[in-house]
Amino acid sequence: MKLYRKSERPGGVVDRRTFLQRSGLAVGGGVLAGSLPLTMVQRAQAQDKVNPPKPGVDTEIRKSVCTHCSVGCGVLAEVQNGVWTGQEPDFDSPINLGAHCAKGASVRDHGHGEKRLKYPMKLTGGKWKRISWEQAIDEIGDKLQEVRAESGPDSLFFCGSSKASNEQAYLQRKFAAFWGSNNCDHQARICHSTTVAGVANTWGYGAMTSSFNDMHVAKSMLFIGSNPAEAHPIAMQHILRGKENGAKMIVVDPRFTRTAAHADKYVSLRPGTDVAFMWGMLWHIFENGWEDEEYIRQRVWGMDEIRKEVASWTPDEVERVTGVAEADVREVAETMAKNRPGSLVWCMGGTQHHIGNNFTRAYCIVQLALGNIGKAGGGADIFRGHDNVQGATDVGPNSHSLPGYYGLTDDAWSHWARVWDVDPDWLKGRFDAESYLSDTGDMQPARNLPGIPVSRWIDGVLADPADLSQKDNFRVAFFQGHAMNSLTRGPELKEALEKLEMLVINDPYPTHAAVVSDRTDGVYLLPAASQFETYGSVTASNRSLQWRFKVIDPIFETLPDHVVLYRLARKLGFDKEMFKHIKVVDDEPSIEDTLREINRGSWTIGYTGQSPERLKLHAENRHTFNTTTLKAEGGPCDGEYYGLPWPCWGTPEMGHPGTPILYDTSKSVAEGGLTFRARFGTERDGDSLLADGVYSKDSEIKDGYPEFTADMLKQLGWWDDLTPLEKREADGRNWKTDLSGGIQRVAIKHGCAPFGNAKARCVVWTFPDPVPVHREPLHSPRRDLVEKYPTYEDIKSYWRVPIKYASIQQIDYSQKYPLIFISGRLVEYEGGGEETRSNHWLAELQQEMFVEINPADANDRGIRDDEWVWLEGPNGGRIRIKAMITPRVTRGVVWTPFHFGGWYQGVDLVDKYPKGTEPWVRGESCNTATTYGYDIVTQMQEVKPTLCQIERAG
Amino acid sequence: MAQLIRRAGAVLTVTLLLGGCYESPDVTLHEPGEYKGPDDPFLEKAADPEHQEQLQQRLARGQTDR
Amino acid sequence: MARMKFLCDAERCIECNACVVACNNEHEVPWGINRRHVVTMKDGEQGEKSVSVACMHCTDAPCAAVCPVDCFYTTDDGIVLHDKDICIGCGYCFYACPFGAPQYPEQQAFGVRGKMDKCTFCAGGPGEDNSAEEFEKYGKNRIAEGKLPLCAEMCATKALLGGDGDEIADIYRQRVMKRGGRPQTWGWETAYKEGES
Ligand code: SF4
Ligand code: SF4
Ligand code: SF4
Repeated sequence: MKLYRKSERPGGVVDRRTFLQRSGLAVGGGVLAGSLPLTMVQRAQAQDKVNPPKPGVDTEIRKSVCTHCSVGCGVLAEVQNGVWTGQEPDFDSPINLGAHCAKGASVRDHGHGEKRLKYPMKLTGGKWKRISWEQAIDEIGDKLQEVRAESGPDSLFFCGSSKASNEQAYLQRKFAAFWGSNNCDHQARICHSTTVAGVANTWGYGAMTSSFNDMHVAKSMLFIGSNPAEAHPIAMQHILRGKENGAKMIVVDPRFTRTAAHADKYVSLRPGTDVAFMWGMLWHIFENGWEDEEYIRQRVWGMDEIRKEVASWTPDEVERVTGVAEADVREVAETMAKNRPGSLVWCMGGTQHHIGNNFTRAYCIVQLALGNIGKAGGGADIFRGHDNVQGATDVGPNSHSLPGYYGLTDDAWSHWARVWDVDPDWLKGRFDAESYLSDTGDMQPARNLPGIPVSRWIDGVLADPADLSQKDNFRVAFFQGHAMNSLTRGPELKEALEKLEMLVINDPYPTHAAVVSDRTDGVYLLPAASQFETYGSVTASNRSLQWRFKVIDPIFETLPDHVVLYRLARKLGFDKEMFKHIKVVDDEPSIEDTLREINRGSWTIGYTGQSPERLKLHAENRHTFNTTTLKAEGGPCDGEYYGLPWPCWGTPEMGHPGTPILYDTSKSVAEGGLTFRARFGTERDGDSLLADGVYSKDSEIKDGYPEFTADMLKQLGWWDDLTPLEKREADGRNWKTDLSGGIQRVAIKHGCAPFGNAKARCVVWTFPDPVPVHREPLHSPRRDLVEKYPTYEDIKSYWRVPIKYASIQQIDYSQKYPLIFISGRLVEYEGGGEETRSNHWLAELQQEMFVEINPADANDRGIRDDEWVWLEGPNGGRIRIKAMITPRVTRGVVWTPFHFGGWYQGVDLVDKYPKGTEPWVRGESCNTATTYGYDIVTQMQEVKPTLCQIERAG
Repeated sequence: MAQLIRRAGAVLTVTLLLGGCYESPDVTLHEPGEYKGPDDPFLEKAADPEHQEQLQQRLARGQTDR
Repeated sequence: MARMKFLCDAERCIECNACVVACNNEHEVPWGINRRHVVTMKDGEQGEKSVSVACMHCTDAPCAAVCPVDCFYTTDDGIVLHDKDICIGCGYCFYACPFGAPQYPEQQAFGVRGKMDKCTFCAGGPGEDNSAEEFEKYGKNRIAEGKLPLCAEMCATKALLGGDGDEIADIYRQRVMKRGGRPQTWGWETAYKEGES
């Protein structure tokens, strides 16, 4: 037995994986537990008990929601005299029934704030200097005005956050709009943008179609590129309940994940070949007539085109491309076909590809063929990542859209100008008036051009301005809650950070971006309050909105994001317009008013019924909701679904219960039923795109119908169902732009879905690949396949920047970098990890960045377990990490976690953090070694897969 | 010495048990001595039937699948 | 009278470490000490299984049997507690314990062990319930407050059950009946001299 001691780390102790690995535990757990010399573990620096509960002092319970993932577990915080002293299980929450994963069980650490940024700081002459908020806002504002005057508003890159509340995320988007730029974005770009685009373009909305709880009634579950045991642990409670109820559980993943350990069937496939695998499944489905013909006839358009593509995916070809044997593909297809309804779940394993939108559409099409969408127990169950990435996608800072997926057209701007009650011309005047080359090759004014997304922001800094579809490069970047180590091309990221004139980081922790560059000046750190130090709504992956009550006041000098936005807007002179209908008290914009404004404008996705009052009522009555259906049984929320999952149609007064399962025709729309959305017109190639003889329960139109407009109401003779007031507002408008909600109300009164009743489409004629096809990854090791399945041609301007495909794929990197490199999550950490690595309860459990490598690959390289290795990517980025030899990954594939940061190419940057804020655990960011590659539709970064080589570090 | 043997016995038992062998070898454990510390008022509380009832309800509420 | 026990359902445990963190958070256990561990067998291979292990509060607790200063006592419902004022940190109990539960904070130089610490089933130790002193030495006394072990109450998947042995066995039995397969009451044979049938 080797003792494990790390002297140079804060309290180096046995970390979990090492603990398990070194113990020879494979034979029997207890032996290890009985013999491990825990006595030898080193103690941390004196850790006195922080904020212990005091006897005899009143304890208050405050209800919040975990901030670490989109499952949305309820948190009960115990507070004494404003100090967070304990956490209790929230048994009443129908989402977690009291449970947490390691992250959720640790959130009280936010209240300790040991490693938090405590006051605003500025980097001058290589030193961090404490400054006041006033000075910070003044200096930042002055610099912003300066670059605006010289280079226009698009010279600022403003990154918002999937960790902001709905209200804050919405204000981030509004802030960008009022500043006059679309150059704003958030984490969704790099986690599920391809899902949102692919799925919305298939059937209307790009979100998880059912809920975690709905897994209880699934008959089968297929996880592909998804590892809920680590990424969405409490989802596993529902998944395992489903399994105990008899569901067949399948995991398809390049890596034998902790989720796979619980599956009935595990299939390993080559990274980046999911389209081929899906078509392989469909090949068997069609071959055996397992498809749901009636469902396809009534509700699906374009399946014949798919049949043609699938025909070429014979079992042999599927095996050649994916590496999966025919019997396995067939078994998966048969299991799904014979155990319906079944749920298909994917996560970042399915999205982070340059053809990610093809992946996500292929998943949907398989589910359509099986008739699994719109049924309890079925679904395309996309588990989102960050706690509010769904909400920030819905109403937050997206570079390609205004809140509510309205897009960036003139209509969209005029809709929101009406909601905001500002002069559209004034708003227009905030933008660069010039026109630039758009994605479709014509010239468009800046306000209608999607901004540069966060995945490409470094190119906005580094590219030749002549190649940009905007006036100038980015000169200032402002990150309000985003981890830079999540972005690929580490060395170029560092260069971009160094080239900026000013960098502002507004975060509870300093983050990797604060330390990775060699800047000595022009960096501001603004301490942010966490979501436990403020309040507001948050949207879980299942589209439920939950209310967080404030647990404690902001600690130290931290400020909530919306306060910072207000102060900046005031400094920049547009606070009056931006907060016209939002009350501001002591510099804090009212969260309730902000949500009401979201309610007033977001008709497209039914973010209109979830008033603050209703959400608070749900929060207080969590115990009344059924844990399988999420429906309240009795009590003040009787008949409503927990968190009013969107779409929650109409005004709050209308009392819509929310939609627990999208496109479920077995319920009436008024009770949460739905049809597929008529989003793509009514006709294509002479075919009707409307549903054929199928409609939601109680619908008065017994067939498909287009989306509702005022004119349509008149034609149907339903116009007079509107009140006079509604008529005035609704005339000439449609279900998306009628601010009275009358059109939606009347449509629903007659049993109809406001957005129409259409077929889902398998062919997205507006996308580069109308029928999803397989294309080899840009960094493919299979040169033999690159020829048959090549990528796209390079594009001169796409989302304002040039984008390369063929010119990258042409180069054969696989000789020098033969290993396929993928990355993923650890249960203890989240995202870029700065927050969780600064949490001592979590840090203690996971102390080192490592790479999982198959024993064969390790032996080929003379690498022993737990040795230091260098991992180098084709972009030249190198990371020094520990080797973990394990059969979890197959030969030729290596895996690293992506949560580490604070090192750069072998150097621990500990001294570059402001004193006392360095995370307990630091390590190399895997993305220092990841490469170029972006989705053709959304600019998602292709991190899965890339290539690398590994060697022993001397 | 006696104590040493006892300890070795305990470790051995464990190793076998958890190593997959469920046959208990015959090991005599020494009777624990009388507890020497102060009383724990908790003991009295724990015996209260009302308290027991409370714990039972708590279990049903928190640890079942509900 | 209830007999308090732990049961970890390996079919449900996902090795998420919530139980470990919940315990550390609740009792402010210092860095380097974990009263609970999650142990994985066949890590990364087919058949991978995890269970969460802490003091099992054994019948005829072996730790108590070897303690040279007799600092252990057992409550009527079977919770094994100890008195840190009496403990001399000798480490015998660690070797006696089948589950590796007892731990010792290292105290400064020469590897002198501090007072033993282990899972209290969230029932504190001697002294007034939930007094500052009890918290300092043993952490919270949830049982006295009518609550149950936090590790079990916060378990991600309700794999870890903690409470009256008959009741948790019932919950577990129902689960096994539903999903089929052989019941595997991990550690019960050793701790409670009984399996689950
Ligand atoms: S991280 Fe996710 S699964 Fe874990 S406690 Fe938080 S919300 Fe629940
Ligand atoms: S019962 Fe309490 S003390 Fe024991 S491991 Fe669980 S949380 Fe920790
Ligand atoms: S919390 Fe539950 S599921 Fe997670 S490791 Fe502990 S026992 Fe296992």
